[in-house]
Formats: sequence, structure tokens, C-alpha cells
Amino acid sequence: MIEKENCILEIRNMSKVFDADTETEKDVLKNVNLTVSKNEFLCVLGPSGCGKTTLLRCIAGFENYDGSVLINGAERRRPGIDRVMVFQDFNQLFPWKTVEKNIQYPLKINGIHNKEELNNRTREVLAKVKLSGHEKFYPYQLSGGMKQRVAIAKALALKPEIILMDEPFAALDAMTRNELQSELLRISTQEKCTFIFITHNIQEAIVLGTRIIVLAQHGKIIIDEENKITRPVTPASKGYGEMWERMHEALYQ
Amino acid sequence: MEQKKRSLQAITARVLFIAAIMCIWEYVAKSGMMGRNSALIFPSLEAIGFAFIKNFTSGFAGASLWIYIGNSMKLLFEGLLIGIVLAFVLSGLSMMSSIFYDICNLVISVCDLLPGVALLPVVIIIFGVKPGVIVFLVVHAVLWPMARNVLDGFLAIPNIYIEAGMNMGLKGASLLFGVYLPAATSYIVSGLKVGWARAWRGLISAEMIFGVASCPGIGLFINQMRTNMNNAEMYATLIVIIIIGLLVQYGVLSTIEKCTVKKWGISK
Repeated sequence: MIEKENCILEIRNMSKVFDADTETEKDVLKNVNLTVSKNEFLCVLGPSGCGKTTLLRCIAGFENYDGSVLINGAERRRPGIDRVMVFQDFNQLFPWKTVEKNIQYPLKINGIHNKEELNNRTREVLAKVKLSGHEKFYPYQLSGGMKQRVAIAKALALKPEIILMDEPFAALDAMTRNELQSELLRISTQEKCTFIFITHNIQEAIVLGTRIIVLAQHGKIIIDEENKITRPVTPASKGYGEMWERMHEALYQ
Repeated sequence: MEQKKRSLQAITARVLFIAAIMCIWEYVAKSGMMGRNSALIFPSLEAIGFAFIKNFTSGFAGASLWIYIGNSMKLLFEGLLIGIVLAFVLSGLSMMSSIFYDICNLVISVCDLLPGVALLPVVIIIFGVKPGVIVFLVVHAVLWPMARNVLDGFLAIPNIYIEAGMNMGLKGASLLFGVYLPAATSYIVSGLKVGWARAWRGLISAEMIFGVASCPGIGLFINQMRTNMNNAEMYATLIVIIIIGLLVQYGVLSTIEKCTVKKWGISK
């Protein structure tokens, strides 16, 4: 059990039904309880349709649900910048804004207007995702991997409590994906930020996660364990094989 | 290089086409093959060119064509401005309330089918013969196609932009201005194109059917040329109407496109 002061996110009895009272009624989430502690990198694995994305969207405040989501003990129902979402879709950047403006716009909305501060933050986060010098590019001039880097930079610039990531690398080619995994790993160890990362990919979960949960249907948590493998994790790391087997078995049972 | 060749080809083809038309015109005019009225139906190019200059220098009834153009433009832009603002207000409100959306949709569908000129008798009965009537018709011409386009644009916005906007704390009006409007730009621009074309035609028709003496415009000018059988001047005014239309099309609308959707890589 996580101690109270170290707990950043608490989900209590979350249930979500799609198309309630119709023939297509579907219980996506049933009584999910989950606590996440500060600076944790939580990877959520699960088969398609188990409710991973719905869980994340409920935390982000995009869906209505029963139960409650508490951030630092306070209930949250609507979207807010303490929980910033990085989507899978490459088109999450606004095509009408340059990279720089895409990063600065959310900051301006949230009350940062000092030009120097805006520029400093932009420079800082772009350096973190290794895209320095791309400030003036429009999204259509970037590759898919670069767009996802900007999306991560944009989230980091807001300095949120939690970054929610819904399979952000799923549509990337294998090489770019590996590259972005190791960069996200580096960023996550340097940042004071909690990550909740959804993926279908066991390797990705083991490489990135400090804690991994596996969901079954209705969001039932069937595995919840700390990832104790020494970082950086490679398939040759001690314990990798066993962990992979356990996750694989749980996913395909 | 390939592209340069292509555009050179396009320009050459167009210039040759226009030159050919002018040659045929001049041949018909000079040969007098249209009989007695030949000079009226096909005034020679020199006559049209001379009339073109005369339109601007001496004009009609002591006022040069510039004054008529100025009056038309004043009414046109007044109408365009009101129409565009109203279109944004209607479509913005439609996005906020579903009841408003249903009603708005009906009103747009009905009004879009009504030619402005058909409304003219009713409008004149209500307002009398005033410049305001022409402004009203311009508003009518631009508002409905524009509102339809903006609304379609709002409905076609990918959900991801809206969620990304909500994610950074936008809601209500800030979401409308921050996400809906820019994301619908390509629809808004095509709405502007349709709206502008309709407004321009509506304006000239209204002015031709009834000219407002206190604010005479191009339509009235061309009608007076017709009444006085000044056919060369009539053709010359048609050319002016075409030139103004092209100037707005390429000067204003294309520039807007270049600075927005083309720059953002949304449209080629």
C-alpha cells in the first residue's frame, strides 16, 4: 500500500458503461481501483477492448464515469493541465501553428505571457526531445516521430503532475519507436513527473515502466508489479525473460 | 523547372486564346456581317477601348465611373462585413446549442434557395428605395452560403483537435476561437469564395433592377448605358466588372489562402 503523502493519483470504484440501457450496452470498466505514487512510470498493458484507453480518458476527464479520480487528494472530473494527454494520433499538434507556437499556446492560455519565459521553456523542452532548431517548422513539415516528440515537449512545457500517454509510439516504425523509447526513458528519469503509459507492447512496458499493470476485460487488474530490472533494460537484462513470459501469459490467457 | 514550364505554357495558352477571341470580334465588327445593327451588337475594339477611358474620364451625368464603383464597393463591403460576422455568430451559436443548430440548419437550407432578387419587391415594400436595400441583398447573398460552410467546417473538425484543445484548458468561447475557427479555415475560405461571388452578382443585379439615386452604383451605370444605347460603354463596363471580380478573387482571396491553409500544408 502506498503511503498517503506519496500518492498522486487515486482511482476509486471507477465504472464506465457505453451505450447504457441499449442493446449494445457494454461495461468497459467495472469497479476499478488504482493508486499511483509520485514519479512513478506506470505502464498499462492489456488486450484490445479491455478498457485501457477508456481508463486513461476517464483520468484525463474526457469521459463521464461513476466513481472518482483524485489528484493529490482532490477530486477531478473535467480536463485540466495537471493531467496532460499525449495521444497516439500524429495530428494532435495544431497544423495552423508552428512547433514553437504549438508549445507556447497552452502556456499562454494558462497565464504565462512573459516572452522570455515562453521562449526559455520552449528552448528547454525542445532540447529535451532533441528537436532544437525546429521552432519555426509547421507540423506538416515534420515526420511522424518528430510530431510525437513535439507532442511530448508540449506536455513537458506545461509541467503537469501527470503525463498520460495513450500508445504514443504505436504508429511509428520499429527503429523510431526504439529511439523514442530510450529518449522517453531518459526524460522520465530526469523529470519530476508521473507517467501513465498505455501500450500493447510488452517490451515497451518493461523498458519504460517502473511499475507494470496488466488489465483483463472490464479493466480488471490481473498483474500489478514493480519493475525491478536494472535500467536501461535490454532483452539480455537479468529477469527480462521471466517478466516477459509472465506478462505474455497474462495477456493471452 | 517542370513547374515553371507548366505555368509558362498556361500563360501562353491563355494569352493566345484571348488574342484569338479579340481577332474574331474585330473581324466581325469591321466586316459588318451582322447587318444594320452591327455597330451596336459588335462595337469595334477601338470603340470599346475609347469608351473604357471615357467611362472613367467623363462618365455619365457628370460623374465618372469611379464614383459609381466607389458607391458599389461601399455597399458591397458593408454587406459583406455584416454577412460574414452574422455567419460566424450563427454557426458559433449552433455549435453551442443543439436546438439552435436544428433551427439554424433549417433556416440556412430555406434561405440559401431564395434568390436575393426575388426578395427585392418585398424588401422594397418594407424599407423603401434606399441604399440599405442593396446592403440587405448583399447580406442575404453572403450570409447563407458562408454560414453553411462554416458550420460544415466546424462539424468536420477531427475530434483530436478538440480534445487537444480541452486538454490544455480551452472551453466554450476560447475553444471556439482557439480550435474551431482555425481548424475550419479551409471551409471558411471556400465559404468566402462562394459568398463573395454571390454578393458581387447580387449587388449588380439589384442595382440594375432599381438604382438608388442617392448612391448610384456600377449596375445603375450599365443600365443607363443600355437606356442610352451607349453599347461600347456597356461592354467597357462589363470589362470593369470582370476586372474587379478577378482582383478580389486573386488579390484578396488567393492571398488569404496563401497565408493560411497553403502555408499550413492543409491545402495544395
